[in-house]
Amino acid sequence: MTDTLLFTNIDEPGLNTIDVYLARGGYEQLGRALKMEREDLITELSGSGLRGRGGAGFPMGRKASFIPKGDMQKYVVCNADESEPGTFKDRELIQKNPHQLIEGLIIAAYAIDATINYIYIRGEYDQQADILDAAIAEARERGFLGEKILGSDFSVQLELSRGAGAYICGEETGLLDSLEGKRGNPRLKPPFPANEGLFNGPTLINNVETLSAIPSIIKLGAEGYAAIGVKDSSGTKLVSISGNVERPGNYEIELGTSSRELIYDLAGGPVDGRAIKCWFPGGSSTPVLTADDLDIGYDYDSIAAAGSMLGSGAIIVVDETQSVVELAYKLAKFYSHESCGKCTPCREGTAWTFHMVERIKEGTATPMDLDIMAAVQEQIIGHCLCVLGDAMAMPIGSLIAKFRDEFEAEIETNRNERERKLAEEFAAAEVEIEGISA
Amino acid sequence: MADAQRHVARFTNDSRIPGWDRAADLTKEPAVVPDAATTEVPAELRAAIEDAVRRFPVGDSAFIPALYAVQEQYGWCSPEGIEQAASVLARTPAALTAVATFYDMFRMEPLGRKTVYVCTNISCSLCGADELLEALEAELGEAPDVHIRGFECLGACDIAPMASVNGIYVGPIGLDQVPELARQIVAGDDPLPAKQLIKRPCADPKVAEK
Amino acid sequence: MPRPVEKLVSLTINGNEVQAPAGMMLADAALKYGDVEIPVFCYDAKIGPPVGACRMCLVEIEGIPKMQAGCSVAVTDGMVVHTDTPTVKAAQEAVLEFILINHPLDCPVCDKGGECPLQDNAFGWGGGLSRFIEPKRHFEKPLALSPLIAIDRERCILCYRCVRYSQEVAEDFQLVLEERGADTFVTTFDGHPYVAPFSGNIIELCPVGALTSRPYRFRARPWDIEQAGSVCTLCPAQCNVSFSVRDERVLRVLGRDHEGVDDGWLCDKGRFAYQAIHVDERVTEPMMRDGGELRPVTWELAIESAAKLLSHAGANTGALVGGETTNEEGVLLTHLMRETLGSNDLDSRPGGALDLELLRALNAPKLQASVPDLQYAHAVLVLDCEPVDDAPILDLRLRKGVRHHGVKLLIGSSRPSALDERAAHSARFAPGCGEAFAAALGAELAGQSSASLAEAAGADPADVVALATQLREAGEEVVILWGERLTAGPRRNEGARALLNLADQLGLNDRDGAGLLEIPSGTNSRGLREVGVLPNASIGLGDAATVGRDAEQIGEALAAGDLSAVILLHSDPLLDQPSSALWQRALGKASTVIAHAAFLTPAVLEHANIVFPAESYAEKEGTVVHPDSRVQRLRRSIARQGETRAEWALLAELAARIGNDPKALTCSMVSARIFEQVPFYAGLSLDLIGGVGIRWSEREAAASFPAAPAAPFTLDAPPAAASPNGLLRLGSFRSIWASPEVEASPALAFLHPRQRVEISPGDAARLGIAHGENVTVASNGDSVTGLAHIRAAAPDGTVFLQTSIPKGSAALLEGPLVEVKRS
Ligand SMILES: Cc1cc2nc3c(=O)[nH]c(=O)nc-3n(C[C@H](O)[C@H](O)[C@H](O)COP(=O)(O)O)c2cc1C
Ligand code: SF4
Ligand code: FES
Repeated sequence: MTDTLLFTNIDEPGLNTIDVYLARGGYEQLGRALKMEREDLITELSGSGLRGRGGAGFPMGRKASFIPKGDMQKYVVCNADESEPGTFKDRELIQKNPHQLIEGLIIAAYAIDATINYIYIRGEYDQQADILDAAIAEARERGFLGEKILGSDFSVQLELSRGAGAYICGEETGLLDSLEGKRGNPRLKPPFPANEGLFNGPTLINNVETLSAIPSIIKLGAEGYAAIGVKDSSGTKLVSISGNVERPGNYEIELGTSSRELIYDLAGGPVDGRAIKCWFPGGSSTPVLTADDLDIGYDYDSIAAAGSMLGSGAIIVVDETQSVVELAYKLAKFYSHESCGKCTPCREGTAWTFHMVERIKEGTATPMDLDIMAAVQEQIIGHCLCVLGDAMAMPIGSLIAKFRDEFEAEIETNRNERERKLAEEFAAAEVEIEGISA
Repeated sequence: MADAQRHVARFTNDSRIPGWDRAADLTKEPAVVPDAATTEVPAELRAAIEDAVRRFPVGDSAFIPALYAVQEQYGWCSPEGIEQAASVLARTPAALTAVATFYDMFRMEPLGRKTVYVCTNISCSLCGADELLEALEAELGEAPDVHIRGFECLGACDIAPMASVNGIYVGPIGLDQVPELARQIVAGDDPLPAKQLIKRPCADPKVAEK
Repeated sequence: MPRPVEKLVSLTINGNEVQAPAGMMLADAALKYGDVEIPVFCYDAKIGPPVGACRMCLVEIEGIPKMQAGCSVAVTDGMVVHTDTPTVKAAQEAVLEFILINHPLDCPVCDKGGECPLQDNAFGWGGGLSRFIEPKRHFEKPLALSPLIAIDRERCILCYRCVRYSQEVAEDFQLVLEERGADTFVTTFDGHPYVAPFSGNIIELCPVGALTSRPYRFRARPWDIEQAGSVCTLCPAQCNVSFSVRDERVLRVLGRDHEGVDDGWLCDKGRFAYQAIHVDERVTEPMMRDGGELRPVTWELAIESAAKLLSHAGANTGALVGGETTNEEGVLLTHLMRETLGSNDLDSRPGGALDLELLRALNAPKLQASVPDLQYAHAVLVLDCEPVDDAPILDLRLRKGVRHHGVKLLIGSSRPSALDERAAHSARFAPGCGEAFAAALGAELAGQSSASLAEAAGADPADVVALATQLREAGEEVVILWGERLTAGPRRNEGARALLNLADQLGLNDRDGAGLLEIPSGTNSRGLREVGVLPNASIGLGDAATVGRDAEQIGEALAAGDLSAVILLHSDPLLDQPSSALWQRALGKASTVIAHAAFLTPAVLEHANIVFPAESYAEKEGTVVHPDSRVQRLRRSIARQGETRAEWALLAELAARIGNDPKALTCSMVSARIFEQVPFYAGLSLDLIGGVGIRWSEREAAASFPAAPAAPFTLDAPPAAASPNGLLRLGSFRSIWASPEVEASPALAFLHPRQRVEISPGDAARLGIAHGENVTVASNGDSVTGLAHIRAAAPDGTVFLQTSIPKGSAALLEGPLVEVKRS
């Protein structure tokens, strides 16, 4: 396994302050990048093969190359909304090494000539936002932000913008609307943000981890970076492992590492030697995999080949003692709560699914409801304005497909349980109807 | 009485939603942009909003910071506070409430200022979050000025089950620590100092090796 | 600014080749050019760009893996579209099943039933089955959203048309969504009602019965009513409307979407003031004063008496003609006055006669801008008018231009404008100083010094420079939207010259997409002038054989006893004329006052000897001319109410009884005569005008418009604005809601304005006046009272009061300076 890139010195005390960061070679890559031609810089980013770490995995350099040239106002927006259940990697990066992110962001801004830039951080990350705010102020003070930075003729501003609790604001266009002071509803695409994004200007939107990787790319060179990992999945990736494991946390791995190694060797696997029932490979939005899939490599293509997605790189491990109905319940509750409500299939489909799972739990569902539930997921997928709806429909669809027996068994158990309770209540109640007493 | 009866929900599972009986009061004037000449705004609130406006090329971007400022001022997004913010921003108060109600962190009714979010999403609930929420709610009971609620994933699954106490993340919280935590919340003390996320080392062994 | 060009592309829809303009949305193109309906809910091109929210319109496009929203994909050459595949069908059924989850099945008691897009789509594209057995969303229903609109949130399918309209078309931002996801609902702030000049449009936009008209609720079903197309004559905007008629009663007014006129919208006055047609207060039978009181009489008695009184007064008769008068009525009145009674003392303009040459110059066909020009011009200068009050629907058009076409909006007015927020620059000048302001702008554009003229106008010289710079740099197509008050009052001719010079400086003559557009004081002011209802013009804006008295002079002559009789044709001088005092004296002195009125407004009630019932606009036939020269046709949509008779016939009858029968057997005969006699209307016919009207200035016959002198004119120095010196300048305005129809409509009555005294925070502080307190405004011994209304935007040194209200009108005061103090 290669050395760390993103997590280098991560636990060093004071790394979040500019002096320590500078002492560790911080902002050197920015200096180098500013001496490059913009075109060459974008070629370098493309050549690294870095794919977006926010969920969609779109090649970062290619996205930067879509930004039109010209003297309109352009923007880089860093997506630090990190709300995908199971994901907490950006948090650690922001909290412990904010300057790495700022440096990467300024390089990206220079590459596309964006002079006004924002980091949109979820409102719940209060402490992290304060740290980031302080780091931005330091960078401004030391001349890494502001007019004509480092003697170049590039002037750049960066502001932090705090969200206020809405998962959909992680979706890039929902984020833009939120940043513009609107309800965080996703926008119709096209136009894509690269052409018409923030305040209608061309906008490059990247995840915290994506931007944080940029200084390493400049340092190692495109080839050096691309040499890490496997084909079409280059570089290192932070993996947030949580759920039923001994050592939950963030791990920086080379893409392509076996999933079993991640879950068992790094995170320690489930407690008490329990078996794994299923695992989400890339956050709660991705179809679940089972214990049979543990030996696939943890990279974009291999996970896709197994029928799921690497997503944000968040592995949630579910052990054999857990109920799939409970999982479906949490999923449906989350996505129906977080649906923005703009488009019909997502708004209605997530809520309907939630009510159906609720009925399974209450004991009022029948196996036919399972068919309806599966059909509703099909009715959502591919019909929505953004992919939040799909983000519920795919994992729930996969749970029903893979654990149908367990659903049916639970439907049966809960029905029986409910009937038993009703009978008891009836017996306990002093019901007297015309001489008949219970 | 007849009224009270009408307000009894007929169904249990959320078939009524907030605002289900929100009619317009026809004696009120329409809520247009509040005139700066006749809307008094506390100086701190005005300063906070104007500062936010300066940070964006388009003033509407200051909506969220303005709502935070209102919440800070009044403890919640009160209609009075919203009108004041609307006057400073020269927008209608409706534009602000539309935004405020979209986000989970804005309080649209007076609630305790000491805010406790307990994550009840997948990873945390796999580790006992629902029990934690229940226990904490029971322990805090009717504690004054405390607002506790279950919350969606707070991005701290590595310390599951966890809670955010006024923005400070703590976890993993054992059920045995609930009384202590509750006491600290009520007293306004630093919550479970040893369990604060901010102090937690990275889990990756490669980092520790160095 | 370039208008959309129609470049055709060809695409294939369900196997058929279809030609459609590039850039058109697929849903529109499929319907219009391919006869294929793609069902939609959230999409309506009128509201602005599509949002793709409801997902009803999903279609398959070859080469794109995911299904696309047909409402939001622009057609391109070679596109291959399928709207009838099993995949599409499944998507449509899925979306409809989702939409119907929460929609109650209360169609039998829903106002929308029978004309409901949801019913239609469910029938046409739904699966006819729901598997949803959970409880639906429940809301209390129906609730009031405003005195005019009821909201039934259970029926709402969250298509967001209404909130998008409020935010992006009307831009009042009062109607919003709260909460999110399945909890989302449409509402206003903290229980405030949605009251705004254009709120009623959301009723028509709602594709289900969630938003209904409270005045119309449960009055009829679609199959009980007939639609009758006509024109709203409540203001100069002349929106095209359709009356929903049941049993000869108007139950509702809908828009009749005309891109050249109203763009499909109506203001709330136009939408709801139809109620005034059917109220008891309306005059529906002839009346005569008897023992000091007006009492109903027979038609015969009224006509005979009127004929006698008029014959007796003869040439000592004057006539004031209100803006709601049709061309036909106007022509018959001139026949009665000029050819029958021998009087030339008639006027349809309240501000004094304008020099005929100047009038011609201002109305020259090559200088006329059209309504759509407002939307596409490089810049629009709004000069001395307030569109939302004076011709409301134009306010929406200007907003659309700014929002969608980047029109640079510039404003020069005395009172703060509702459009200021959308303007690239706004300037204020002292009330009544439009002439000096226009002259200042003209001077600045000509490269001369404008500072002293700006000061004379009471304007900030920097504002004049800024506006002129913007005008110069905006581009060629500039439209000046100006208010009639610029050419009213003692300096009216100078005002006209200053305006014509300004237009000349900007090169607006004979330039496509540019020009002048007047907002006159009356609905049909333009038509009435063109058919010669002026003291100094004959039909077709020809020279009058003898020049008569203008409105003000008629008042003075009546007061002095030089005239003894006056005809008030749809005109109440106590509401419409600048000086109430003069008209109180004039009417008090007149021995004969004959009024044609629908309501007993102050002058009619106090002074008329004979009152003839006026037809409502739904009962009238005839023609009117839109301010942009579009000749439009009124069609009789209901039977005349009560004893009301056709007024054209009455005017003809009066002339006949006095001994000069105009031989008008039908109204269309009179129309035909007008088309013959007005040279620039030559060749027009009622058929040609049809349902959409026709702009005469665009026709060949426009070449025969009488020649007019050309700018530049030499200007003399305008008088300087009065210096307040401790007092305040008096400014006045007429609210959109100041009309007898609004007052008489039960649903709208709550909007009928009461006087309020608008002053700046600085003046209020100086005078020790608090917001909402009772204040008195006085000058020369006259005074009016009202509630103090302190506005941050109000300019220092000026107080604004309303005119055209029955009590406490600004017309009671003589300017230019007034004293304001706490009552
Ligand atoms: C519902 C939804 C939620 C998302 N949440 C996040 C998020 O919290 N953080 C993030 O970086 N990307 C999130 N994304 C992905 C973004 O839309 C976008 O693809 C990403 O920010 C692009 O950055 P990247 O290319 O660097 O990954 C989300 C997408 C969807 C559809
Ligand atoms: S009220 Fe009508 S127009 Fe408004 S969102 Fe609901 S269905 Fe659409
Ligand atoms: S009509 Fe196309 S998404 Fe609503």
